Amino acid sequence: MRPLHPLTSKQRAAYGLAFFVLFVALWASATFGGYVSKTFLASPLTMVQEGWDLLTKYGFLFDIGMTIWRVVGGFALAAIVAVPLGILMGAYKPIEALLEPFVSFARYLPASAFIPLLILWAGIGELQKLLVIFIGSVFQIILMVTVTVGNTRRDLVEAAYTLGARDGGIIGRVLLPSAAPEIAEILRLVLGWAWTYVIVAELIGSSSGIGHMITDSQALLNTGQIIFGIIVIGLIGLVSDFLFKAFNAWLFPWKLA
Amino acid sequence: MTTLKIDQVLRTFPVRHGHLPTRALEPIDLSVANNDFVTILGPSGCGKSTLLRIVAGLDRPTSGRVILDGQEVTGPGADRGMVFQSYTLFPWLTVRENIAFGLRERGVREADRDKIADGFVHRIGLSGFENHWPKQLSGGMQQRTAIARALANDPKILLLDEPFGALDNQTRVLMQEMLLGIWERDQKTVLFVTHDIEEAIFLGSRVIVMSARPGRIKAEIAVDLPHPRSYKIKTTPEFIGLKERLVEEIRAESLKVAADA
Repeated sequence: MRPLHPLTSKQRAAYGLAFFVLFVALWASATFGGYVSKTFLASPLTMVQEGWDLLTKYGFLFDIGMTIWRVVGGFALAAIVAVPLGILMGAYKPIEALLEPFVSFARYLPASAFIPLLILWAGIGELQKLLVIFIGSVFQIILMVTVTVGNTRRDLVEAAYTLGARDGGIIGRVLLPSAAPEIAEILRLVLGWAWTYVIVAELIGSSSGIGHMITDSQALLNTGQIIFGIIVIGLIGLVSDFLFKAFNAWLFPWKLA
Repeated sequence: MTTLKIDQVLRTFPVRHGHLPTRALEPIDLSVANNDFVTILGPSGCGKSTLLRIVAGLDRPTSGRVILDGQEVTGPGADRGMVFQSYTLFPWLTVRENIAFGLRERGVREADRDKIADGFVHRIGLSGFENHWPKQLSGGMQQRTAIARALANDPKILLLDEPFGALDNQTRVLMQEMLLGIWERDQKTVLFVTHDIEEAIFLGSRVIVMSARPGRIKAEIAVDLPHPRSYKIKTTPEFIGLKERLVEEIRAESLKVAADA
């Protein structure tokens, strides 16, 4: 090992996989070796068995589908509101001065603390779940997009002005394309956080979803199901992250050229 | 017919806490006639870039005004094309799209834009690179594209702010020849800022020497070397004579800067 010395992609994959193997091995030795009680931690095999039952007997796929739809729905709503607002705030300093202090304040309000209020206002239906994710994501996206757009290289803006661009052209043809790859990265990051909010939203007052299954399993002391649910969340996160990354690379080839 | 008049332009940078206001430019008067190639030569920090930015409309004079064809400059516009020292191609656009940027802003149809852009791609010797992104180009290629981008807009005057300052010496000499070739063929009013004495003589019909801060015009030297010029002219006695004169002028100013620092 030397500082900053690069790896081949094969080596990288091998190292990444190795840690997963190590992790499962530790888990297996702790459970099969009898060091941890079965009541508190299911073994990997039990987990797989329980997971299979969940998928085949208890319609867990429907729960997964519900959770994905909530995350994507709430996140899409947040992005539709936050990205244009962030671009406006980044471009126009008076709008930023007006809204930035409030958004910074709102960003620290924990989305999960809104759940009781949201149940009061919106009931325990889908709207309430979407709103939890919306509140958890929207302020973060606004702030990060604002900073990104505000940091657009000034010399590019000046070059565009000397080429005859007007304010609309500056926003549409300089600020926007310049910030776009970073905005896509912000959305990828916040989508990861949205997964946390959706599970919290489903733990309380819900009749479907991965989070709901996890609370149900807790009542039955079925740690195998709980762990399976958590792992499913992790896998979906991994896949969506990968897809997002690939999509961004396809969308912004100039960044990688 | 393009005439640029810089009329008593003065620039003071306002007080920053603990510092007195800085006078960047003493009142400057300068006229640039149609198709003139004027180089502005000065030590770093003499305000030559500030002057160019004021002409471009990117900076405002504290007093005085800039008049282009009878119209006072109040902001940046397509009639004054600018090439910067830093690489300012839009990284998300290809070479062709970068050159066509100004045309697109002015609403030129796509087919016409591409035709004009491809003409410039050819003239700057980048045929085959039309669809490359700036990241894939060398520094010299990027600056050539930046010059083409400014020229594609057909500005009344071309402003260049040390455009070859970041390039290695060999590339810089080639770029000077290319720029001069374009000017000799197409005729254009050009204002070119540099701190490189040879560059100022080789390119310019007139060299304006600026003093150290606060910047003012110290001397104006006509360059009566024939066109077309090639790199060979740099070893002629006339060229060397001009160079000696300018070295003396600039050296006095550089010493002042060094003494202040």
